[in-house]
Amino acid sequence: MKSRIQLVDLTALSGPRADFLGHLHGLCRTIGVDYASYAATNPVSGKLHAFTTYPTAWKDHYMDQNLHLVDPTLRIAARSIAPVDWRRLEQDSSFQDVFGAARDFDLPSTGLTVPVRGPMGDVGLFSVTSRMSAQDWRWLKGSMMGQLQTAAVHLHDTVMTSDALTRTLRYPHLSTREREVLQWVAAGKSQQDIGDILSISSRTVEVHLRSAREKLCTLTTAQAVGRAVSLGLVQPG
Amino acid sequence: MILIVDVLNKNRFLPILDDMFRLRARVFQDRMGWDVAVTNGLEKDEFDALDPAYVIALDDDYRVIGCARLLQTTGPHMLSDVFHAILDGEPPLRSATMWESTRFCVDRETLAGRRGKHTVARTTTELMCGILEYAQASGISDIITVIDPVMDRILHRSDNAPYDYVGRTAEMGKVRALAALIDTGQERIDRVRAFAGVEGDIFATQEEVANAIAPPTGLPGDAFLREYCHQQIENAASLRERNAAIALQKALSGLGSPARNFDT
Repeated sequence: MKSRIQLVDLTALSGPRADFLGHLHGLCRTIGVDYASYAATNPVSGKLHAFTTYPTAWKDHYMDQNLHLVDPTLRIAARSIAPVDWRRLEQDSSFQDVFGAARDFDLPSTGLTVPVRGPMGDVGLFSVTSRMSAQDWRWLKGSMMGQLQTAAVHLHDTVMTSDALTRTLRYPHLSTREREVLQWVAAGKSQQDIGDILSISSRTVEVHLRSAREKLCTLTTAQAVGRAVSLGLVQPG
Repeated sequence: MILIVDVLNKNRFLPILDDMFRLRARVFQDRMGWDVAVTNGLEKDEFDALDPAYVIALDDDYRVIGCARLLQTTGPHMLSDVFHAILDGEPPLRSATMWESTRFCVDRETLAGRRGKHTVARTTTELMCGILEYAQASGISDIITVIDPVMDRILHRSDNAPYDYVGRTAEMGKVRALAALIDTGQERIDRVRAFAGVEGDIFATQEEVANAIAPPTGLPGDAFLREYCHQQIENAASLRERNAAIALQKALSGLGSPARNFDT
């Protein structure tokens, strides 16, 4: 039996959340896709939170028809560890139920979903769609995958920490190594220098930095240092 | 050849998955003496319930000769939930572009003495390439893998040496384990491929494997033989037995392989 999960359009709410949509539009431009959406189940409230750059007409139709309950780009992709190209979902009868209608709204059905598994059993789903030819799509996919993964986890972490309760559950747990690396960054050292100081390879420094950036919900190292300082995890350089 | 089985296609490959869980039982319980749970000859743990992706090496008869399991490091995985002794109380790395690889193994008994395409060394390398290439195509830049010192030596020997280690070498029951970092860069993939002379596309299409293990649509005319074949296929204890039973049914029904339908 399907649970009646309530779908909440985050962009319809006021406040800082409206930035999510601007962020998605920006991603569409940089990556070169037509539409982007994000959805996540909040493990605390049980609600499905979503925002999208799709036209309002489609959004209304989608919510009216409760399509999120059958949409395989959410339902099935949520259980994958790798990004799921929607071509793999076309066999599923529910794909036609959702995207047969999308064609009436003149929307593309070429797309992919990047699933993000969070530490609390929460799952975030970041989807992009495009009108481009199959060949261009294959090429774009190859070049944007890493970027999509990072964008997806950033969106997910930001949404999850925007709720007071989940924020408390997700206080950033930095390892000693991650704090050390951030501390040296704050002191103005380069990645190579830090590797030499800590006797680890500079790629390992990069791996710790990437991990620290994600735990702190930041995209750049400068932001990560700033946030770590404000949380008292690192001393100002 | 390498087959990727995940939550989207696993229902088509259940006999292959069972064969893989049997191989894991033979390797990790029988040969290496790890403290793993084996039920009905299948080695499965709680992480297999989290819909991981499996990278599976198959021989020309579509039998499982090696496997590995992949999980995201943003969610629950072995290093965060089971192998934390390695991390010495430190929180684990967490990255959208890093996957964890565990339960890497190759069927040495079956492959021992074989020549040509399916040797232990060749299968080990092909499996490594399968993991690296699948991860790279999914936008993953690094793999973290919990291994024992034996596997560490195998990685070094295969020109696939980890670029670093995280945490410390910890005693896990009878074995020692450590966490190694491996990038999915093209340079490394080219190196590992060159080491074992792996050329061309190593991935099998889903359709090819699904058709090869599917029972034929035609059935023997005789009701007794039909029932007999059905029983043999249903009661097969391994993929090898199942394939033999399917071959028998094909022979008895006078039919060749069903029409192939490759991914377009």
